[in-house]
Amino acid sequence: MSELTAPTGAMAGGSGPVGLGTRVRRSLPTAIAVTILVAGAIGMVAPFLWMLATSMRPATQAFDLPPSWLPWPARIDNFEAAVTGPVPLPRNMFNSAVIAIAIALGQIITCPLAGYAFAKLRFPGRNALFLILLTSLMVPIHVTIIPLFVLMRNIGLVNNPLALILPGITGAFGVFLMRQFFLSLPRELLEAGRIDGAGAFTTYRAIALPLAKPALTALGIISFLGAWNAYFVPLIFLNNVNTATMPIALVLMLGPNRSGNVAEIMAATTIAILPALIVFLVAQRWIVASMTSSGLKG
Amino acid sequence: MTVSATRMPMPGRWTERRREAIAGYLFILPTYIGFIAFVLGPLLGALVISFTRYDLTAQPTFNGLDNYARLLTDTRLHQSYVNTLVYVAAAVVLMNVMGLALAVMLDRKLPMWLRTILRSAYFFPSLVGLAYVAIIWQALFQPDVGIVNYYLTQLGGPRVPWTTSREWVVPAVVIVDVWKNVGFGMLIFLAALQDVPKEVTEAAEVDGAGSWTIFRRVTVPLISPAIFFNVTLTVIGAFQIFESIVVLTGGGPGDASRSVAMYIYEQGFQSFRVGYASAIAMTLFAIIMVVTLIQFRVRRSWVFHE
Repeated sequence: MSELTAPTGAMAGGSGPVGLGTRVRRSLPTAIAVTILVAGAIGMVAPFLWMLATSMRPATQAFDLPPSWLPWPARIDNFEAAVTGPVPLPRNMFNSAVIAIAIALGQIITCPLAGYAFAKLRFPGRNALFLILLTSLMVPIHVTIIPLFVLMRNIGLVNNPLALILPGITGAFGVFLMRQFFLSLPRELLEAGRIDGAGAFTTYRAIALPLAKPALTALGIISFLGAWNAYFVPLIFLNNVNTATMPIALVLMLGPNRSGNVAEIMAATTIAILPALIVFLVAQRWIVASMTSSGLKG
Repeated sequence: MTVSATRMPMPGRWTERRREAIAGYLFILPTYIGFIAFVLGPLLGALVISFTRYDLTAQPTFNGLDNYARLLTDTRLHQSYVNTLVYVAAAVVLMNVMGLALAVMLDRKLPMWLRTILRSAYFFPSLVGLAYVAIIWQALFQPDVGIVNYYLTQLGGPRVPWTTSREWVVPAVVIVDVWKNVGFGMLIFLAALQDVPKEVTEAAEVDGAGSWTIFRRVTVPLISPAIFFNVTLTVIGAFQIFESIVVLTGGGPGDASRSVAMYIYEQGFQSFRVGYASAIAMTLFAIIMVVTLIQFRVRRSWVFHE
């Protein structure tokens, strides 16, 4: 970083008229900055492009060097082979979707309730209860997983999606995110509802919740993707190829010696990444807004 | 009249308060049930199991501090901790320094489309699962046919055995981790930079401060809450690194890239030394908690508050 900003200072000191100095200073580093940013961006996108290109090329050409970045003519047989292969990908995708949708729905019901209470309702012990809840962000899943496994086994939920859904339908991060949002709502807005003699829940339902739509959208998307992308917990609870979720299925396809068919694996990975891409194209704005506000006011 | 007028609201207000409190408890009830059943309870459970000998099938038997004594002599665990600390240090330094550098470069007048494309390119990987990302990268990292080595040798560099040699497995894991997450930090920093009032930096400029001085003395203090937030998240996340290593190297060669989370998984779910795995897990939890508390302590001395 010092290489980038140091010349700026030197140039500002050396230039005579302010107008020219600022113009030179602003334009030159911008050219350098954009060059670096573009080079970096190519590095960020290239792995995905290679995945896409490989998924559309015959398997025998998967490792051609130099790689052909444009897979033309495009073929879809890798996708067909991946979907009809020994790993039941459509089934795995369905499992992932059920779990991720259930978790997202659970989160957008439970988290705003708690977030609203911690932000706007007054009750004894409120701050202490919030802080205790936040400490769960420091508890790694690897610490609680053994008792969780024993618990789920004892109630017969191993290889059942509920083993993943139940612990996922609420969470400290979502509560934190929603509390941040509700803190930004002016009190007068809620007072207006209370004057009519409405109870806390009515005020919440009728006034607070509709205003929270952007934050709820972001929370729903973030928890959906979190569940869709999860690898560790499904690895523990789902040990059958038919109950497995997408990430588990893809690692199975890869094989223990990484000997799986690369073109098919890249086709399957393309399918797996699709929801993230769609969400990104459609809802990037809301995610960005809510993530950044949680960081700034935190 | 006046007496009743001042007195009358009192009981009403009191019950209203009480109602609000009850509502508050009801509102947080679902979350707290989940928290107790799936976080707090299992945490205490792990603590209890860590004092036992347990293989998931037979009844656990109490064995005192045996598991904790074993922590001290287990060289595989020590190796895993060394690796994990390297991952944490690399993640904290690289993700935050590079994330901030990217944000500074992006925080200037650029055409709207260019800005959107650049921001999107950096941010997108942080939405994609680490397992998926690692599956792509393990193909890119192939020693003879992978494109990373292809372009590296084209530029005159060596053919690096990324996923098979002791020296290179840790850098390979770090590269994937940073590549995936740097855009998230960039986004947080970018939002913070845009909130820095231009008058403040311009005033410093008028006073004759150079750009680096302004950045160090004005900008960084103003965005320190964002830095703190991102550092805290990266530390907690990096201590739990797991799936990228499973996919890229399987922890090897030997234990050269194994993380503590992987070692807990191996001990608990493959070797069925569940009591011992729980003892390791408790050390991981304790370390994350201590590091986070230290960060919050130190926060007071460097994070700027208005």
